[in-house]
Amino acid sequence: MISAVLVFNNSGQPRLTKFYTQLVPFPLFVPVLFPHHQLKLGSYDDISDTAVQQRLISEIFSLVSNRPSGSCNFLPLPPLLASSGTSHTPSSEHNDTPSLVTYRHYATLYFIIISTSTESPLALIDLIQVYVEALDRLFENVCELDLIFNFETLHAALSEMIVGGVVIETQLDRVVEGVKAQGKVAKRPVNEGRGAGPLGMGGNFAWPGR
Amino acid sequence: MKATALMKLIYLEMFGHDMSWASFHVLEVMSSPKYLQKRVGYLGAVQSFRQDTEVLMLATNLLKKDLTSTSAITMSLPIVTLPHVITPSLALSVLSDLLPRLTHSNPAIRKKTIVTLYRLALVYPETLRPAWPKIKDRLMDEGEDPSVTAAIVNVVCELGWRRPHDFLPLAPRLFELLVDGGNNWMAIKLIKLFATLTPLEPRLVKKLLPPLTSIIRTTPAMSLLYECINGIIQGGILGNGDDSAAGEEIATLCVGKLRGMIMVEGDPNLKYVALLAFNKIVLTHPYLVAEQEDVIMDCIDNPDISIRLRALDLVVGMVSSENLMSIVGRLMRQLRNSRSPTTDERGQRPAVGAIEPAADSDDEAPEIAIRPSREPSSEPPLPDEYKIDVISRVLEMCSSNNYGNLVDFDWYIDILIQLVREAPVVRPVTMLDDSDSRSRDEPALDVSGRIGDELRSVAVKVRAIRLQATRAAEAILISAYNDNSSPLTPASGALRPIAWIVGEYASNLETPDGTLTALLHITRSSAPPEALIIFLQAIPKTFAFIAGDDQVIWTPERKTMVSLLMARIIHVLEPLAIHPDLEVQERAVEITELLRLAAEAASGQEPSSDEIQQDAPLLLTQAIPSLFSGLELNSVAVGAQRNVPVPSDLDLDELINPNLTNLLRTVDMTALDEPDEDGFETYYHQPPAAAAPTAGEPAINRLGGASEDAVHSYQQGGEESYLDPDILARRRAERLERNKDDPFYIAPTDAVSRSSTPLHNILQSNNGPDFDVDEIPVMQLELDRTNTPVTGQSSPKKPIIPKSRQRIQVAADETLVSGSSSPGNYDSESNLDAPQRPKLKGKSLLQVDSSHIGTISLEEGDHAASALDFERQQREEAEMAKAMKEVERLRLEMQRANERIQAAQGVSTETVVKKKKKKSKPVEAEAGKVPTKKKKSKQVATDEGQGEPSISADVVKPKKKKKKPKPEEGGSEHQESLVSGENGA
Repeated sequence: MISAVLVFNNSGQPRLTKFYTQLVPFPLFVPVLFPHHQLKLGSYDDISDTAVQQRLISEIFSLVSNRPSGSCNFLPLPPLLASSGTSHTPSSEHNDTPSLVTYRHYATLYFIIISTSTESPLALIDLIQVYVEALDRLFENVCELDLIFNFETLHAALSEMIVGGVVIETQLDRVVEGVKAQGKVAKRPVNEGRGAGPLGMGGNFAWPGR
Repeated sequence: MKATALMKLIYLEMFGHDMSWASFHVLEVMSSPKYLQKRVGYLGAVQSFRQDTEVLMLATNLLKKDLTSTSAITMSLPIVTLPHVITPSLALSVLSDLLPRLTHSNPAIRKKTIVTLYRLALVYPETLRPAWPKIKDRLMDEGEDPSVTAAIVNVVCELGWRRPHDFLPLAPRLFELLVDGGNNWMAIKLIKLFATLTPLEPRLVKKLLPPLTSIIRTTPAMSLLYECINGIIQGGILGNGDDSAAGEEIATLCVGKLRGMIMVEGDPNLKYVALLAFNKIVLTHPYLVAEQEDVIMDCIDNPDISIRLRALDLVVGMVSSENLMSIVGRLMRQLRNSRSPTTDERGQRPAVGAIEPAADSDDEAPEIAIRPSREPSSEPPLPDEYKIDVISRVLEMCSSNNYGNLVDFDWYIDILIQLVREAPVVRPVTMLDDSDSRSRDEPALDVSGRIGDELRSVAVKVRAIRLQATRAAEAILISAYNDNSSPLTPASGALRPIAWIVGEYASNLETPDGTLTALLHITRSSAPPEALIIFLQAIPKTFAFIAGDDQVIWTPERKTMVSLLMARIIHVLEPLAIHPDLEVQERAVEITELLRLAAEAASGQEPSSDEIQQDAPLLLTQAIPSLFSGLELNSVAVGAQRNVPVPSDLDLDELINPNLTNLLRTVDMTALDEPDEDGFETYYHQPPAAAAPTAGEPAINRLGGASEDAVHSYQQGGEESYLDPDILARRRAERLERNKDDPFYIAPTDAVSRSSTPLHNILQSNNGPDFDVDEIPVMQLELDRTNTPVTGQSSPKKPIIPKSRQRIQVAADETLVSGSSSPGNYDSESNLDAPQRPKLKGKSLLQVDSSHIGTISLEEGDHAASALDFERQQREEAEMAKAMKEVERLRLEMQRANERIQAAQGVSTETVVKKKKKKSKPVEAEAGKVPTKKKKSKQVATDEGQGEPSISADVVKPKKKKKKPKPEEGGSEHQESLVSGENGA
């Protein structure tokens, strides 16, 4: 299952955050407040979810941005996830823990998928690819500014592909179709921020052999 | 307007601004009639609503309404949103609206609904009961839209690993999909699903193998290829015993393909996943993986940390005595090179290019890696976590199997020394963590401490290498003292075990004086109390060795030297007597006092001149050394203590010896009689009484490696370390005499075990040092004998036959092998009832809580009686709650109506109450028959209909208040919360 989909740019500013499971604050984060976090899950509204999310994003960003080019698309677990993950004894429940962080880098953007071990790592890379291609079709040569000004469309496209952490569609045409069905109603003046010009994401689409 | 504002808010939320305060506004936008605005509202809900958001209650109706919308795009909004906000109660209320969507004409709606139902089921397992048959119909439907099928497969896959049994009947259809489905994603999911199914249904393997093999051979999609291999591995197809030839064939095929993935493609992703797969294969087919050593070792030097880590995992699994040295050598080189290049290393860089290829051929020829190699140091600096990881892997590899893979201990010690030097880079981090990590119980962070421990355990276990190990420790210690630039600080974790080695094996030291100076030096500097304690113990040990040699004549020089030394030690220790840490304080005081005594004795003793031969003071030559030279210490296996069986007839409340008080007194008296009464006395002497009840324990002590004491128990452990052997012997005889008739005393001098140690000694002296029988004392404790009071007989010691590699023997951890109480058994016992108990586990971040779903069954003809009963009961309770609410509502209505009538007639209040009682009773009776919701409310309604006319008829019964409790009593059997609800109403 997919736990979260994140998009942020080269300087770590989030462009899209979508969490399919709720973030549970864990003891390292606020050790004093949550001594019994294991027993009372999700009942802590005094620590905002958003704070944990931001922390996770920044951790992933620091991991991702330090990687040399040409390295593989899989990240070691960020500390926030790792420390909570390793405390578990590997049991049948390990399938529920997010254990895989897959990312792809396009021009100025990083696309990240956090998922459990039931997803196939290589397939996730393809999934990101499909998503980006779908965006590219929707925006006709997508660039980061499109994402900023039309981020609702981002969400719409994502929800055509993933619902509740489960992938429902992997075919590009259908995704685009689905968004456009909504888009007719929601059509805005597309690409209002086109001033910056396309950033050449199209060039990255050549995907070798897969 | 509001929608636009909300859009901006959502955008801000992405940057970490909390927008939970705006949830009501989100709801407002959600209810907007315009699709555009509605969509924004739903987006806001997805992003900001949580399960505990309060407006969720208010949103329920809206969600239901939108679910039944006529427009497909409007309808999909709530469907997509629900997974993010779902709660059990919400699930209950939207379920009925969601189910019809499974047959919606638009496939997009269908597939979204399926997934949403899955998420509903996670929080509210009951969902599956009505939903599963429909989902199954969709799956079986050949004419179904392929993307819907794919979505179903995804869901089934997610459900699959939670309840694999329920999906076995689906296997034929799934298999069909796998064979002719064109969708890679779906195929991957199917393979993953089958991987979880095959362990349950071995016949599947045969069926699966041909298509999987053909996919592996033909597919152009790497991801599918990889997942096939992965599925084969995970599904246990490789390890299947009955068809070993085919299994072997496919394993070879897989490994070959994986090797291809690593080698041929320049794609790091493939390398990564191939290593992942190797990691799984290595468990069953280590030899096949070991053949791929060359590629894997290349990956260890890959610039990518992720790949390196995976390769590292793998390397640990495939290590053997042949390749250990080369692997470790490689890792060590990596560590070395990652250091910031020093000037001379920089100078050597030009030579790099030529040497690179040679490094690869090193794999075959084991080499001593720590020699300064002229490898490229152009690598990026490694993160500390990685270094820590590498170091602990090296330690793990070398020490695994009780040093079974290690051939050359000299080499290992060199490695350890080198590691101590490498570790410092990480130390600032680890030490910083160390103080609070202790509370978090993560000692693993202190890598340098682990290296030290390793050195120590080598010194303890491998006698042949002890000299070198001690020398190594000494060198490290002295370098830490001499070399200011040395990265070792007194706080370093490595120094503690090192100080211990130096103290314990002081006789092996090269320069005891220098070592003592170094010890004193690091003691003076600020170190954490835990380290100080160890340093403090090492100091007198070393000193005792220097000063305690009674062969040397007591010359004036020696006298001066010893006095000076003592003065120095006292000088260092005195400030520590007021150390805030109590342990440190205590030890410092004890040692200081002891040395003061010794100093007095030394100054009192005239040095021997030419004519009079004077002995050195006895306190120096005898007393102090004997404090520290008692038993040889052997390492004890973790959990060995636990293995000591509790005798079945051991009654801890019973007086062991009615004569106990007398015994105690005599022991106390003998203790007081001891020759040197000083601070140590109290410290070392543990009152024998304290340990007396643990009668089973002493067996462990009799492992007595090289000690000449045949028997000793915890009770006397303290004494022996400072008593002279003759005194001990006398006392032991006394005690034996005393306890001869005591059935609870473990007769340690059973004929067998008594003879064992002398036998040893004979053997040892006869065979010479080559054949060290007592090196490896393996204790065996036969439990069948423990039902007699005489427990803990040690069976004849079994020397582990030394392997032909070198004459180095590694002492095994001392433990007790016992039939029924081995650690494993303990575990299994404690786990016995675990499956029934839902474990409360810490949930990790982003984790889905799916623990409930395990309880629900998908089979229609369900035989899981208990589960079903429980479910039924739950359902009944829910129905009951509903019914009671209904009743309550009706009652109120009627009451109101009645009051109206009362106003008119002034009589009939009481009737209502009676009516009420009547009505609730049939409802309760009904609950036993598992009524459906609708039926129930209808029932109530008809009840009411029947009851209504009778109101006017029944006109007696006093006291409304008296009656009220009655229906409550009935209800409370099923629903307690309801009672309070009723009271409130």
